[in-house]
Amino acid sequence: MQVYLPIAEMSVDALLLVGIGFGVGWLSGLFGVGGGFLLTPALLLLGIPAPVAVASGANQVLGASTSGVIAQSRRGNVDWVMGLVLVAGGLFGSMIGIQLFAFLRSAGLVDAVVSIFYVVVLGSVGSLMVMESVRAILRRRADAPARLHQHFWMHGLPFKIRFRKSRLFISVVPPLLVGAGIGLLSAIMGVGGGFMLVPAMIYLLGIPTAVVIGTSLFQVVCVTSAVTIMSAWQLGSVDIVLTLLLLLGGVAGAQFGAQMGGRLRGEETRALLGLLVLAVAAMLFWGLIDTPDHMFSLGPG
Amino acid sequence: MRLVLMLLLWASAALAQPEAPLVARLSQDRVEVSTTFDGASILVFGSTAQPIGPGGAEILIVTTGPQQPFTVRRRVRVLGMWFNGPSARFAAVPAFYSVAGTLPAWRLLPEALRSQYHLGLDVLPMASTGARAPQFRAALLSLKQEAGLWQEDSAPVEIGANRLFHSRLPLPATIPAGEYTVRVLLVESRRVVAEQVQRFVVERVGTAATIADVSRGQPLLYGVICVALAALAGWLGSIVFRRS
Repeated sequence: MQVYLPIAEMSVDALLLVGIGFGVGWLSGLFGVGGGFLLTPALLLLGIPAPVAVASGANQVLGASTSGVIAQSRRGNVDWVMGLVLVAGGLFGSMIGIQLFAFLRSAGLVDAVVSIFYVVVLGSVGSLMVMESVRAILRRRADAPARLHQHFWMHGLPFKIRFRKSRLFISVVPPLLVGAGIGLLSAIMGVGGGFMLVPAMIYLLGIPTAVVIGTSLFQVVCVTSAVTIMSAWQLGSVDIVLTLLLLLGGVAGAQFGAQMGGRLRGEETRALLGLLVLAVAAMLFWGLIDTPDHMFSLGPG
Repeated sequence: MRLVLMLLLWASAALAQPEAPLVARLSQDRVEVSTTFDGASILVFGSTAQPIGPGGAEILIVTTGPQQPFTVRRRVRVLGMWFNGPSARFAAVPAFYSVAGTLPAWRLLPEALRSQYHLGLDVLPMASTGARAPQFRAALLSLKQEAGLWQEDSAPVEIGANRLFHSRLPLPATIPAGEYTVRVLLVESRRVVAEQVQRFVVERVGTAATIADVSRGQPLLYGVICVALAALAGWLGSIVFRRS
């Protein structure tokens, strides 16, 4: 069933979009991640223009994360103070990201730069995940104890505040910077950024794992909302028809994936996810180096 | 059948007014582009007072869509990766263009007249800024022709009964909205002896058009609606599809 996407200005098979949404949702439920980093590349490979793929991807992540943040806040797993600091950084970062995006679009460099961001970010995150999980699997066999929370240079920074829920008394600078970095990636890559935010919160900020998921989801929902609004306003690139079709499949897929995910072991899951991330990075890298069919491209404006 | 009827009706009407050297009409003056639109075609037809075809006068039909700016970029390789490099901006070229005739225009008219009436892709005004190389102009021509948005003699104008002519104008699915001008010329001994101008509009209709309009007219409001709809859909979906 062909459906016309009003902002992307192209006809796409609606069932294909629902299917992609389902597949990505299933994987994200399985691995407990948002899935934006799989969704946007899938849309790019389908031939959706990069600005629309990024903005609608961010919009989809927002929808997919809403129920999670509601559930987590009911259970009291959201550190609101930490969340607001991260969001403040995230708003700043995403604003910079949107300006950068607008500039790249006028220079005709959006497609290449979005791909490069994906290759670099997914390539390094994927490698880290695979290495870390392999090390964890080996350590489990050797039965060595893991190290706990430790102090380093970050704890000497000023503007300390107390994050009661996270049982932390740290400077606001690191969470602001982490939030800004994720916001920038969100605006340029159309991701929620959970796959980077969660490790940063655990290892860099030392936030207890119990509140990490809820707090990161809160940040993701707020920042992707901001990215959606700014993209619609400044770039005119949010395709709500595309978003809703992806969400339809995505929400269903996530429930099935989450059900299956319970049966996988942590380290193995992370290793698999790392390999998947590396595969996506490799595919996009190929798109960058492969000689194009046409030496010229035609764009509006 | 409809075509024959229309031509017959037209023939009788034309015979009643023998003084007009050239009359032309379109089968429709509005094309609606809905969400399921996958192309259409318009019939250009009419009659002449004098005989047309071999030995007589000839007909040329040129159709021009709304003027739009386009940028052509050349891909360049940097560090092994392909980027969009030098670009040429064409500030105002027709988003749609078609020329057809009972014979190709270059066989009927001198170049000066072809330029004046924009008859032929080679005489289409394409002023550009930026990169100067002629490949950019050639690339624009070939990309537009590949998309079916620029057509030159894709099908000849058909002649019937010496004084009737008709031509089918194919409009591809990607036809841009706007006002289109169809100019029909009667040509004899390398001169334009009569001309008729007809217009039609291409309009986007339906939900998709409404969404596109809101996103352009009220972008901030549209962004807020997108946030609300996605959040609502995600929340509802998680209730509907909840397992366990």
